[in-house]
Amino acid sequence: MNYVRPAGTAELLSALQEDGAAIICGGTDILVKLRHGLVAPKTLVDVSRLDDLRGIEDVDGEIHIGAATNENEILKHPLVIERLPLLCDVLRRLAAVEIRSRGSLGGNLVNASPAADSAVPLLLHEARLRLVGPEGDRWLPVDEFILAPGKTALEKGEFVRTIVVPDPPAGGRCFFHKVGRRRALIIAIASLGMLIGLTGERVDWVRLAGGSVAPTPLRLRSAEQILLGGSLTEARIRDAVQAASRSVSPIDDVRATASYRRQVIGDLLERFLRQALNDKER
Amino acid sequence: MEVQFSLNEKTVSCDVDPCLRLIDLLRDELDAKSVKEGCGEGECGACTVLLDGTPVNACLVLAAQVDGSCVATVEGLSENGQLHPVQRAFAETGAVQCGFCTPGFLLATVALLRENADPSDDEIKHALAGHLCRCTGYQKIMDAVRYAAKLSIAETHAGRART
Repeated sequence: MNYVRPAGTAELLSALQEDGAAIICGGTDILVKLRHGLVAPKTLVDVSRLDDLRGIEDVDGEIHIGAATNENEILKHPLVIERLPLLCDVLRRLAAVEIRSRGSLGGNLVNASPAADSAVPLLLHEARLRLVGPEGDRWLPVDEFILAPGKTALEKGEFVRTIVVPDPPAGGRCFFHKVGRRRALIIAIASLGMLIGLTGERVDWVRLAGGSVAPTPLRLRSAEQILLGGSLTEARIRDAVQAASRSVSPIDDVRATASYRRQVIGDLLERFLRQALNDKER
Repeated sequence: MEVQFSLNEKTVSCDVDPCLRLIDLLRDELDAKSVKEGCGEGECGACTVLLDGTPVNACLVLAAQVDGSCVATVEGLSENGQLHPVQRAFAETGAVQCGFCTPGFLLATVALLRENADPSDDEIKHALAGHLCRCTGYQKIMDAVRYAAKLSIAETHAGRART
């Protein structure tokens, strides 16, 4: 196996033209896969110190995060702390500091795990990805990026350059919970995130996204539709919880059963909605 | 391929295979045996080293990736035959039993106290969350980190008084 460290995006693009080239950034996923023989690239192309793919800035009111920026840098950044508290919260719980200081936001997405924690807040924020390839640049909404476990919309020779995260609509509240056997450093059994804007008990807008409950992290749009524009009555909460449980397609695996995951997603949604109502009454 | 980096403040140059992990280079070529391999997947923290001051799992970094960087292991903690305050704190509070996890805990604690001289219990737990210990039940390790913070603060004050 060869190892190259391109100095810029032009060198990166040409390195990715070679057959069997694979990107390594923090290495927290790919080194485990290499060791178990799950991947066998001919060349590892290291982007972990590629400045073109790193950094966080505000561009026209949206936060642009370089795909190779590590999770520790992101959650400590003043712009992210101020405007993307949900992303901060999720990244803090994504893994221990040793992993977070290597793992990148782009890498977490490209790894395309059904349990990719960072995908949940990015789905809720309706983030977009700037992909760069030999044919030029293209933009993709994050919910069209992860296609199946381990599979993304990246074409041969393409890489993720930037993740653009718009602020959530003003006046909303955010919720996230990840269920696992250990609080730190755990692959989620199931996770749910919610952004919601309420006027009184009426839902002005709502976005729901779940992790580890389907082949990919996903928006729970049927439950959103039930909640949208209505009042948070007992009946509506019950209907939304049922819709959320029905709209996921989890599997039985070493971490939990499918039926447990369905139950957890519904329970988390019910808990969030009741919290949102209680907070309003305070 | 050739890599050059600073290991415990000494420059080292090595010819490495591109697949070689940092942990293997440190243990097998550079005799830094304090770096332990537990899980090999970043779950246990036993192989933690400081890479440019930040704790990382040496089992998840390629040797090639540290070219031009500074790596610190427990071998570099003591000075002039004197244990580092964090090492003293672990020894004196009984936070070490079999010792396999200890180097990782020491380096994570050093990194924590550099950033936050007087951490709360929650901050200590958060900083050490990536480390597993199967002997101590963690209470003695918590005691050790609290004591290390006191020792470090005392030494800083003593150092200032002397100069």
